Amino acid sequence: MEILVCIKQVPDDSVTVHLKANTGEADLDGISPVVNAFDTYALEMAVRLKESSGGAVTVISVGPEGTENAIKSCLAVGADSGYLINDAAFNNAGAPEKSKILASSVKYLEKSTGKHFDIIFCGKEATDYSYGQAGPQLAEIMKIGVVTDLTDIKKADAGVCCKQETEDGYRTVQTGLPCVVTVSKPAYDPRYPTIRSKLAARKMEIPVLTSSQIGNITAAKTANITLRIYEPPKRKCGVKIKEKTCADSACKAVGMLADAKLL
Amino acid sequence: MSYLISDEAKDLLKDVHEFCEKEVKEQCKEYDRSGEWPKDIYKKAIDMQLQTLEVPEKYGGPGLDRVSVAALIEEMAKADAGFATTISASGLGMKPVLIAGTEEQKERACRRITEGGFGAFALTEPGAGSDAGAGKATAVKDGDSYILNGRKCFITNGGVASFYCISAMTDKSAGTRGMSMFYIEKGTPGLSTGHEEDKMGIRTSNTCDVVLENCRIPASNLIGSEGQGFKTAMKTLDQARTWMGCVATGIAQRSMEEAIAYGKQRIQFGKPILKNEVLKFKIADMEIGIETARQMVAHSLTLMDKGMPYTKESAIAKCYAGDVAVKAASEAIQMFGGYGYSREYPVEKLLRDAKIFQIFEGTNEIQRIVVANNTIGKF
Repeated sequence: MEILVCIKQVPDDSVTVHLKANTGEADLDGISPVVNAFDTYALEMAVRLKESSGGAVTVISVGPEGTENAIKSCLAVGADSGYLINDAAFNNAGAPEKSKILASSVKYLEKSTGKHFDIIFCGKEATDYSYGQAGPQLAEIMKIGVVTDLTDIKKADAGVCCKQETEDGYRTVQTGLPCVVTVSKPAYDPRYPTIRSKLAARKMEIPVLTSSQIGNITAAKTANITLRIYEPPKRKCGVKIKEKTCADSACKAVGMLADAKLL
Repeated sequence: MSYLISDEAKDLLKDVHEFCEKEVKEQCKEYDRSGEWPKDIYKKAIDMQLQTLEVPEKYGGPGLDRVSVAALIEEMAKADAGFATTISASGLGMKPVLIAGTEEQKERACRRITEGGFGAFALTEPGAGSDAGAGKATAVKDGDSYILNGRKCFITNGGVASFYCISAMTDKSAGTRGMSMFYIEKGTPGLSTGHEEDKMGIRTSNTCDVVLENCRIPASNLIGSEGQGFKTAMKTLDQARTWMGCVATGIAQRSMEEAIAYGKQRIQFGKPILKNEVLKFKIADMEIGIETARQMVAHSLTLMDKGMPYTKESAIAKCYAGDVAVKAASEAIQMFGGYGYSREYPVEKLLRDAKIFQIFEGTNEIQRIVVANNTIGKF
């Protein structure tokens, strides 16, 4: 089974990001880049599928120079090869354009390597802006099916059997190949790299694809416009209830709820 | 970054940090209480190949320079010193073979480690601690075999090792020149483990007696030649000491980090206690000790990498870092006040962990003798 995993490098999501006072842009100075958490889940799921069904896992990413390191960290945990898609022409690409870039890259890779990807894995969203568009848009452009929010996948007779997370629980979806899947948090954690796999991955070459290979995809003017970026409002001060006894505090709290007609 | 290391080592350091934060640091608290050897944590560490760091590249190791390995070991020690001790003692167990063994022995011992095993070095006996030459264990040649008898004690990884490097007397009348070193694999008939120590600290590492009862091994398991064992043991300890200095530095670093975090958030007299100069100076003294200990560790390891003499530097690194760790852990408790004395808070464990670093792999008194002997004669 030929598997492709699309990953994105994002700022470390364990750090709180603030906006720069003068420009209003996200202040990412000193925040180390990491692979988007949902993409690491997608990669782990893809590698497990490869380990049980055979095949190979290729990783691609549209991103700035330096994204090679994110791709290499994927090579250290089970991916077999990786490509960076980087071109100055792509710098201002929004989500729909990035999906087009990904789709063109898939086409180019299939043509140049002779591979045909059976499944394309994406994280369900990235932890930076959480657009969550890449997977479904990619499927739409490629005219293939998509199953979103997976927590598990198994090879089935004529394709794959997916465990999909829904608002109420889980749904089992079987689909033919090729298809796109987007991945939520599975029941397992991504594996750690081994010392040797990490050192080997660092030495691997990451070919860079540019607009000369995949075509010049420019932003459609009206696709989407960002009007304003702002921080979530700080929580306003609540009411502190501190009576002499716990019982008094509880009575006061309930009284306030009743006054506000919440009870 | 206080260690000057390559980009690839920095990359590994991130992975080790993440692993220790997620899989070691919190989990070890419970094992510290119970004294149980955390098998699950070590399995994950082995999956990550952390036990292979000191294996030479020629024998399947990662081929990192020693200072890079030190940065990784210190990171492990920050999370839990017992964990780092187990990993490091495995390297110690391999050293006699690497120092004096045959090519075949080196390949075999390294393979045991790269396959996911631990090593153990067994020199100490009930009556032979600092006076390691007073060992009573014997090895008698019998045709193509040696038959070993005796009891070794305080053996780190004793109960969990895949192989052992064990010293025994082949000629009792010759004193230290009658000591020889042997490679023995787990499961060899006559080799067993005895009393397991219920230790004050580094409780996530295994320490127990290793018992030899008519343990017959092939004569080819002799490491080096007969009578060379004491020399091999001393060379082994010469190298291993710096690594213990490295683990001790990790404990000291953790102590300081805990002290700073607490000092910033503990409010007394209307301000964080760390605003008081008297406590700031405590942090300064901790950092002065930690950074100098770390640089001594790095210096000693650089000498080893360059093939230069390092006996004195290794003893200084171990002795100094051990003292620094005990002082830093004690001062961290002081910063926490009454809470520091409570097991609910993380710092009392650090003092219990730190104390052994003034004792094992040569007490700090022995280290001072080594330093003195390597200094006085030169002037």
